[in-house]
Amino acid sequence: MNWELIFLFISPVLCSLPIAFFWVKEPGSERARKLPLLSVFGLFISFVIAIHILLKYPDGTYTIPWLPEYNINFVFIFDYLSKYMGALTAFIAFMIGIYGLEYMKHDYRLGWYWFFFNMFTASMLLVVYSDNLLMLLIGWEGLGLASWGLIGHWFRDDDELAYVGIIGRKIGPLKMYWPPSYGGWRAISTIRVGDMPMFFAVAAIYALTGNLNISQIHWGMLFSKIGAAGTVFLMLCFLMGPFTKSAQLPFSEWLMTAMTGPTTVSALLHSATMVAAGTYLFIRMSWYIHPWALHSVPGVAVLYFFVMLLGLISAFYGALVAIGCLERKVLLAASTMSSLGLMFGCAAASYWFGKLALVIAFWYLLTHAFAKATLFLVAGHLIHATHTRFCCGDLSLAKKMKTGLVATIIATVALGGLPPLTAYWVKAGMDGVMHHLVEMVGSTPLYLLILTSLLYSAFLAKFLSLNFWKGCKCSSLHLHEERLMPFAYACVVSMVFLLLYKILSGTDPLVEKHLLEFGLEKDSLMVGLGVTATYLFALVVPRISVLSPIGTFLGDRMYLPALNDFIVPSIGWAISKLIEYTHKAIDWFCHFGLPDFMLSISRRIRSIQVGYLRVYMKIALAFVMLTIFVSMMGWL
Amino acid sequence: MILEFLLIPLIVTFLAPLMRPKLSTVVSAISFLIPFFYVIYGLAENIVVKQHVISLVKPIGEFYILGDQISFSFALAICLVSAMVALYSLPYMAHRFDEMGREFESEYRKYIFFYDLYATSMLWLVFSGNFIMLYIFLEISLLASFLLIYMYGYGDRRKVATLYFIWTHIAGMLALIGFLLVASNNGSLAFNSIAKIGFTAWLLIFLGMIVKLPGLGPHVWLPWAHAEAPTPVSALLSPLTVGLGAYVILRAYLISPWFIKKYMMPIFIYGVISSVYAGFMVFRQNDYKRLLAFSTISQMGYCLIAFCLGTYGIMAVIIQYISHAFGKAILFMTAGGIIANYHGLRDITKMGGMHEYVPTISNAALIGFMNLGGILTVGMFGEFFILKGLVDTFGFDISTILAVVFVFIISGLYSFYTFKRIYCGKPAGYEKVKVNRLLDTPLFVIGVISILFIFPPLANILLNAVKTGVIKAAILTIGGVAP
Amino acid sequence: MMVLLLSALVSLILIVFGAVCSLKDLRLSLAASILALIIVLVSSITTQLFPYVLLVVAIGILTVFSMSIRENQISGVDYSLVALIALITAYIAYTNDISFILAAFVIASVPTYALVFVSTDGAKPHVDVALKYIVFMVLATVLFIIGTLFLAYSNSSGNTMLYTLGFVMLILGLGMEVGCAPMHEWVPDVFSAADPLPLSVVASITKIVPFVAAYKIILLTALPQLSKLTIFVAFIAVISMFTGNIGALTAKETGRILAYSTVANMGYVIATLAIVTSKNYLYLAFAGALLQLIVNAFGKASFFASIKTNGCSRPLMYLLALSFIGLPPLMGFWSKFFILTSLVGAGLIWLAFLLIVNSAISIPYYLRIARNLAGETFPGKVTAIALISSVAMLITVLPPNWFVSLAKAFFGGV
Repeated sequence: MNWELIFLFISPVLCSLPIAFFWVKEPGSERARKLPLLSVFGLFISFVIAIHILLKYPDGTYTIPWLPEYNINFVFIFDYLSKYMGALTAFIAFMIGIYGLEYMKHDYRLGWYWFFFNMFTASMLLVVYSDNLLMLLIGWEGLGLASWGLIGHWFRDDDELAYVGIIGRKIGPLKMYWPPSYGGWRAISTIRVGDMPMFFAVAAIYALTGNLNISQIHWGMLFSKIGAAGTVFLMLCFLMGPFTKSAQLPFSEWLMTAMTGPTTVSALLHSATMVAAGTYLFIRMSWYIHPWALHSVPGVAVLYFFVMLLGLISAFYGALVAIGCLERKVLLAASTMSSLGLMFGCAAASYWFGKLALVIAFWYLLTHAFAKATLFLVAGHLIHATHTRFCCGDLSLAKKMKTGLVATIIATVALGGLPPLTAYWVKAGMDGVMHHLVEMVGSTPLYLLILTSLLYSAFLAKFLSLNFWKGCKCSSLHLHEERLMPFAYACVVSMVFLLLYKILSGTDPLVEKHLLEFGLEKDSLMVGLGVTATYLFALVVPRISVLSPIGTFLGDRMYLPALNDFIVPSIGWAISKLIEYTHKAIDWFCHFGLPDFMLSISRRIRSIQVGYLRVYMKIALAFVMLTIFVSMMGWL
Repeated sequence: MILEFLLIPLIVTFLAPLMRPKLSTVVSAISFLIPFFYVIYGLAENIVVKQHVISLVKPIGEFYILGDQISFSFALAICLVSAMVALYSLPYMAHRFDEMGREFESEYRKYIFFYDLYATSMLWLVFSGNFIMLYIFLEISLLASFLLIYMYGYGDRRKVATLYFIWTHIAGMLALIGFLLVASNNGSLAFNSIAKIGFTAWLLIFLGMIVKLPGLGPHVWLPWAHAEAPTPVSALLSPLTVGLGAYVILRAYLISPWFIKKYMMPIFIYGVISSVYAGFMVFRQNDYKRLLAFSTISQMGYCLIAFCLGTYGIMAVIIQYISHAFGKAILFMTAGGIIANYHGLRDITKMGGMHEYVPTISNAALIGFMNLGGILTVGMFGEFFILKGLVDTFGFDISTILAVVFVFIISGLYSFYTFKRIYCGKPAGYEKVKVNRLLDTPLFVIGVISILFIFPPLANILLNAVKTGVIKAAILTIGGVAP
Repeated sequence: MMVLLLSALVSLILIVFGAVCSLKDLRLSLAASILALIIVLVSSITTQLFPYVLLVVAIGILTVFSMSIRENQISGVDYSLVALIALITAYIAYTNDISFILAAFVIASVPTYALVFVSTDGAKPHVDVALKYIVFMVLATVLFIIGTLFLAYSNSSGNTMLYTLGFVMLILGLGMEVGCAPMHEWVPDVFSAADPLPLSVVASITKIVPFVAAYKIILLTALPQLSKLTIFVAFIAVISMFTGNIGALTAKETGRILAYSTVANMGYVIATLAIVTSKNYLYLAFAGALLQLIVNAFGKASFFASIKTNGCSRPLMYLLALSFIGLPPLMGFWSKFFILTSLVGAGLIWLAFLLIVNSAISIPYYLRIARNLAGETFPGKVTAIALISSVAMLITVLPPNWFVSLAKAFFGGV
């Protein structure tokens, strides 16, 4: 068990080391181009182990000593969440790995790519399986670092395909286009802002409880101990990590420009790793915090209400942005943000609704992961074929990319929440949850959810329509004999049906028949019908030219980039300028002012050396007389 | 036992100039690696040794070698970095002598002597059991580093060297008066026979070490000295030497912690301001080495902050020293790598996309910046301990928490911002070169070790020893008579 | 004691013999001078003060050698004069008799009057410079002697006013003799204008006797009044340190820099006189003062000799300069260290603080001296002198416990 667990994390990293080293030595050589196979093999090992864990491991924790003196150990947890999530991560990563073999074939920096790709996967697995918060943080930091590496993978900024936004477009002082190196910087800078408070919260939890195992900490006691304000502060600090990683408002910008990375990275980033890590962590924490049992503890209610509201507002914002986007990947990125918001919202409702809300949020996470990975992989394939980042393509393209078309249709329908496919049941669950909340917190969450769902299906349909049906005609098509790429997304999308089967059959121990019951309620059906209607409408009318100014506004993310690119940097530069002047003043004083002053005194001291004995004797004798006089007068 | 290990580098210091450059480099590196392994062994076994050297007249007391977990932890960083930088020196100084138009072999003999002397004196410093002994090694290290800057520095090297000399000499002398006050009150300066450090003495020691560390205000010497020193010297100066200021304060703290405890709040605020100040300065630098120098000031602010945070804070000081040493050594060597390969290229505005030309150095720089940001390297524990100590000391005091978190964020931000400026973006149009193996391999050795230190068994060895050392010292006040 | 007396006599005879021989053969007079010093050394081999004598003899021989670099008007006699100074410097350690101390004071200073005149390579004697020097020396001697007499008299009579007057005059005389500010006006002129070779004597070994004499006299005649007077000494010390160090910053000729450096060094040394009343730290203070004087003697002798040859071996010059700055483990560190320890121990922290400020100010000009004088290494007398001085600076790599016990032995009977 020991070795199996260690290999789960280490094999992807170890297997990617050969290419990482070899590429530095002989970049682009034939031999080096074969080594990615080894990296994918490392992912495969992880996949096999994750499946083994899913099927065979008993629930519970498993400890490998790390810092026993500090009561900090590698504690792995195997429960409902981690087993599913681990298998999901490993599977999607492995599939995207296969896809990447073909997609990244001619890249100029394969060593970097595969090392960080595999590290990305390993980090996510570490986050998924860890019960110990410090160990989780290792994975968490690994995610941040790897995402930075991968988003900025095409560091030369010389490929138009790698940019986000229309190159050269400006709004006021804002440049509305982002090269990869800038995308990477935006990602890591945002994430650092979130990680540090989270790091603090982990340390504070350790300081207060002496324990870092999520499942063992007595959260209720901890919260009672630090009071309402303390609870809210501590948990908000903690959640800064998930919020930034999962791109909730106002930290969403990095996610949009994360599209500067290779599409494989976007696919992985948006489905099973990184952004999912935030929501996953929130669900995992809530799973053991038992918020529904903490109604007597002050502060928890405020916290969960805040998270729910933030999640739903982000979801709504994300959906609006996606409506206005015309870039394939950015559209999908905004939709991811929207989904993550829904997950947060639903998971936070567990305070009122109980554990089932967490299960529903988690199932939405699973559904979303498969569907979104598929859409990204197809989008990558489309970019390869059409050589443009923007939505375009018509029926002639659809004919040539049948697998892609089918996969997209399945993924959009399944994810959009059209009955009776997977997401419909999950979203029906969400509707149920929010409906239940109307009595307690008002109907705003419910309305937000429904609005978001409607928009969501609309832009998914738009994506489908603009790329395969009603989009402009592509000038040139570069379809090669790709096999691995269609294979990979076909595999991924098929998983949606597996989930559907699980829901419908009611074999899942926690979901049981609940989702079915929710889905068969009248209200849910109404929403489902509405969603279907908007989907069909958007499919037929993907663009409304009258509304294009609004679309542009939305597509520009309501000018939120100003926060990252203008407001915060301006403040920073102003402060640093001020500090620089202070520094220059101190520096001048110490290294020029003071020495010059000394030198002028020195010259004065030397000025008495006139060379005449007469003068010297006068000075010396005057001093002698003076001292003798003073000694006679003063000291007696 | 310990004396023999410490004597190895000392003897090599005097033998190395007699050998040919290649041999002397290798021998020097090995002479630091041997104590390195001994240090790890010492940490693992929780060894505490005391070995008498010489007894001096009354107010000075006994000179002895004190090897406890704290010494070993500091020595760990010193040995490793010194060994690796020694290897790195060979190609770098060849380039430097070439640039200065000097004859390689004879200059290298001088260089390696002073280099070894410098590193050895720092190693001995952390094993000193007497403040005067400590002071002597402090000044020897100053002397050697001064001469290295004076002889081989960049820019107006004589002026910069003199400036460096004056500042650090004042620092040392201030501390010396503090020590002497302690001596006149306690009749001895051996750690194990000092009962209390009085106010004036503490103040002087603290002020002196603030200059050395450096805190805001007296920090102005550091950007000059660290930027203009020959890079291998910068790679010892910045990672190892300035941090020794923290070591001295640490020793004084362990003997008589009242000063820092009493003035906790001002010191804390001062540390935060220093760190933030320098952090913001980093963004505005266009000289790679000067930039790193400011980052050093920022990182040393961590140490000042950590001093105020109780037992875990003290542990954080030690870890922070190690992690900063690793990180900054790597980074200075990357700066040097670019200098050596591109004829003195230091201006960041002329760089961009350097990953294209020197991928290995770029990758090493990434590890270096990870160390600074405490990402996936031993620095992670340093930050963790600081934060834990923060809660232990101040509880949920929002302003202090936000201040520290902000300090950490700034470090992370300037690290990656700098990385982006130098290594990413449109390639600046240079020729791709073949990097000498000694110009990049040592960096990776340090980098890998810094990463290995978050996993067992190394993490275990280090953190257990640090905990034992600090807690034992806090209870017994190891250097010092039990109250 | 008999052995000492006897050997002193033999040495004196040898010295005179050497002076006479100079008419015949310079080498003979050189040999006689050195032999005389060696006899002094051998005679003290069993005494506790042997290390002191050894150092003094070493400095003596060095200065004799430095005089022999070039011939001058009184070549041969000058060796004897230098040897005489060294001899007196060595023997003053053994006496506690005030009259003998005064005699030693005079004997150690008078030969320098002649030395300052000389010039080498057939140049004219430096009359103008010598005049300045002699006038100051005479005045200093007078003040010193009168001060001593007052002290001695008031010690037996208990007249505190007279004691104060005597003390002040003694310190003024001492200050003028060695060149403390603000009576230092002669120093820069003489040091930059006279011939460097005799200066290597005047600036080095002759500084020791006045201080030892002052120490002994003050201790022998101490009254309770003394503790109030030390502030005056501290005052002189501070002025001297600052004047010397700051003055040296902009001085151009190396000789002039060295002159100001002397003023500063004398300030450090005289600072120790401020703590003669502190029983516990007196020995350390004296050890510091003596060691500082020895460092000064070795360093100045080498520097002036090097000025004569326009430079000397680079490493040696830097080593000596660094020793002056006070870096461990060089001897210059230990002297400052002892001084600081005693100052701090006696409670004069402010003075210690000013001392380190000065030590920092001094860094640039010592480096400038070293740079000015640094040259290629060539075999020769100058290099030998610098080498021996450098070796002397390095004998304290192991902490010099022995020097503190030496300082104790100095005052065995006082």
